[in-house]
Amino acid sequence: MRMLSYVFETTLSFSEPVSDHSFVLRCLPKSTNTQKVMESQVFTHPRIPLAEQVDGFGNRIIVGYCPEAHDAFNFYATGIAMVEPEDAGPTPAHPMYLQTTRLTMPDDALRKVAHEVRDAAAGAGVGNSPACEPDVSRETSGGGSAVATSAAVSDAAADDAAPAPDAWALAQRLSARVFAAFEYAPGSTDTTTTAAEAFAGGRGVCQDYAHVLITLCRELGIPARYVTGLMVGEGATHAWVEVHDGERWRGVDPTHNCVVDDRYLLFSTGRDFEDCPIERGMFRGNAEQTQRVSASLGDDAPAVNATKFKH
Amino acid sequence: MYTKLVGHTDKINQQLARYGVKFGIYKGGVFEERLFPFDAVPRIIEADKWKQLERGLIQRVDALNAYLRDLYNDAEIIRDGIVPEHFAYASSGYLPQCENIVPPRGIFSHISGIDLVEGNDDEWYVLEDNLRIPSGASYPLIARNLCRRCDATTFREVPLVDNRDYGERLRRVMDNVNCGGINVVLTPGRYNAAYFEHSYLAEKAGAVLAEPSELFVDDEVLYYRDSTRNTRVGAVYRRLSDEYLDPLCFLPESLIGVPNIMTAYRAGNLAIINAPGNGAADDKGIYYFVPQMVEYYLGEKPILKNAPTYLPYYPDDLAYVMDNAERLVIKDVAEAGGYGVVFGSELSPEKLAELKALVRAEPRRFIAQEVIDFKCLPTWIGHEMVPRKADLRAFVLSGETTTVWPSGLTRYAREAGSSVVNSSQGGGFKDTWVLSR
Repeated sequence: MRMLSYVFETTLSFSEPVSDHSFVLRCLPKSTNTQKVMESQVFTHPRIPLAEQVDGFGNRIIVGYCPEAHDAFNFYATGIAMVEPEDAGPTPAHPMYLQTTRLTMPDDALRKVAHEVRDAAAGAGVGNSPACEPDVSRETSGGGSAVATSAAVSDAAADDAAPAPDAWALAQRLSARVFAAFEYAPGSTDTTTTAAEAFAGGRGVCQDYAHVLITLCRELGIPARYVTGLMVGEGATHAWVEVHDGERWRGVDPTHNCVVDDRYLLFSTGRDFEDCPIERGMFRGNAEQTQRVSASLGDDAPAVNATKFKH
Repeated sequence: MYTKLVGHTDKINQQLARYGVKFGIYKGGVFEERLFPFDAVPRIIEADKWKQLERGLIQRVDALNAYLRDLYNDAEIIRDGIVPEHFAYASSGYLPQCENIVPPRGIFSHISGIDLVEGNDDEWYVLEDNLRIPSGASYPLIARNLCRRCDATTFREVPLVDNRDYGERLRRVMDNVNCGGINVVLTPGRYNAAYFEHSYLAEKAGAVLAEPSELFVDDEVLYYRDSTRNTRVGAVYRRLSDEYLDPLCFLPESLIGVPNIMTAYRAGNLAIINAPGNGAADDKGIYYFVPQMVEYYLGEKPILKNAPTYLPYYPDDLAYVMDNAERLVIKDVAEAGGYGVVFGSELSPEKLAELKALVRAEPRRFIAQEVIDFKCLPTWIGHEMVPRKADLRAFVLSGETTTVWPSGLTRYAREAGSSVVNSSQGGGFKDTWVLSR
């Protein structure tokens, strides 16, 4: 158990004033099976009424609308959370986290890597549980006839939706493979780069590492989701992956090739980056937008510099 | 009883063209607008037959609404193994952004367009459910109005159920779920091919016709902005597809959506008609399971039949499809609009073998159906009465109760013997007469 305090600030600057600015912010940590939020606040400048909602992925979102012209938009989030990654209780995996998305669509290269890692793990006695395949065996009853079983699942042992004891070990092997295949290179990709594109290029940032790992996991029937949050020692937001081991979600960080521990604070989760960007906005005006982000996460309560937001 | 009307066919078509009654299609990547030819010979449905059809349609739409409510919340039907998980969540119409939303009064599909054919065995078969933005109610509405003007006598003599209350029914559907504020019909704009229908329905339902730029969301409430003031909107009948509806929730590149309209909806301050995410229930793959939904949710035997359908996903069905592909219709569940529909009988042996290999490789992507031998209707083409295959889109409205509009859009195939009645394939339409006795 560890108490973490965070401060996160983003300033969007516009080259000329914009108006009718609608936005959604995902900069509030949510309480999950591995962290409990004690306190959290968001301020914006210009100061406008903010509403908090929960989106379809269970994330806390802040929504607002600024009709008046402004040439900068600033939001500032701060709070305290108790993280307890080792003590994760059981939570189910929604089936949406097995489906491919535009950003996590496997190509032949990714499919090949996924199966190579699985086969190697099988040789080493790891991760070859049949239940790591999409478990179609559960889906028989309603249709009236038996399900088309792929060769890999035909083993009768795949019955009864047994949790995959090796999914977690396999995910870590996949993470190691992603880590080895990638060079961390800011600017080599952007937010619309797909997993297949990033993997082919061999370079990317945490978003790309996460997308590739998610794609590989789903290809092997392991539910996987994208996580946005903060990490101790990083001055900006970070992205990693949660995989479902059959009982609960567990975090793995392919960018650092490590298991997520008490240095991580989770903001939001989704199928991929597009489901959980920190900020998404639409405005009227033909302005160029630049962004400045700062973040800090640690044991000490960060100096709250929210004076400019207080009225 | 309609002989006199037939003489007015050309005149009515000219007037329809003047109204701008047309539809848009994508062909070879190019957007085209086309006139929709009208045939003055109506489809006639007798009173007792209609009663039966009506019961079946209400039952089906109630079950589909129950499915959507369940799918986006507890998903019990998945847990109980009635609908396989993969079919439910791989559907392109399933929108995870809509998870855990219960729309006002629990209604997802307010306006459902159910496409049916009448088999030569006198049974109705459902071919497709349209729960997103089923269009076309205005065609028979306008056509009947023009017919009545040409030949009022016929409409006095035939015991016909009046269908002129569609706008009033639409208004009641909107009022039923309105969360406070005005009713709005949201159109993508006047350059949209169905703009005439949007403006026509708005006028008939007494709703404000608005373009996206006239709407905005502030503090979880949707407003309509005109030159003088902002007015709160309580229900929006949007004629804009889900992915373009809200650029902050769905496709970020959408320029025609209303930013944060989903937050007004999620907060319970706005009804969206039809609810976003309905595509999860009108998918060609999910269609297979609708009769089972009727039993599961309503505990009733389904009144309307599906066309006999096979899911290659199930091995027995796959074997059947492989053995009988040359006489089945094979549909790609990922595609809409009739382009992904292939009749095995129309393929060369090589093409058929190719398709079978594809079905075997990607069984989840396809469904196969028996070709329904459905009825022809007399149709006046080129100065003679000829038989043409025709389907029926029935409009089911879910308000305080579920009702069926006693009319509908009958579409007929252009070519003799063809069963392709989609307007995008060059067919035309007819009025649908429901007799009162």
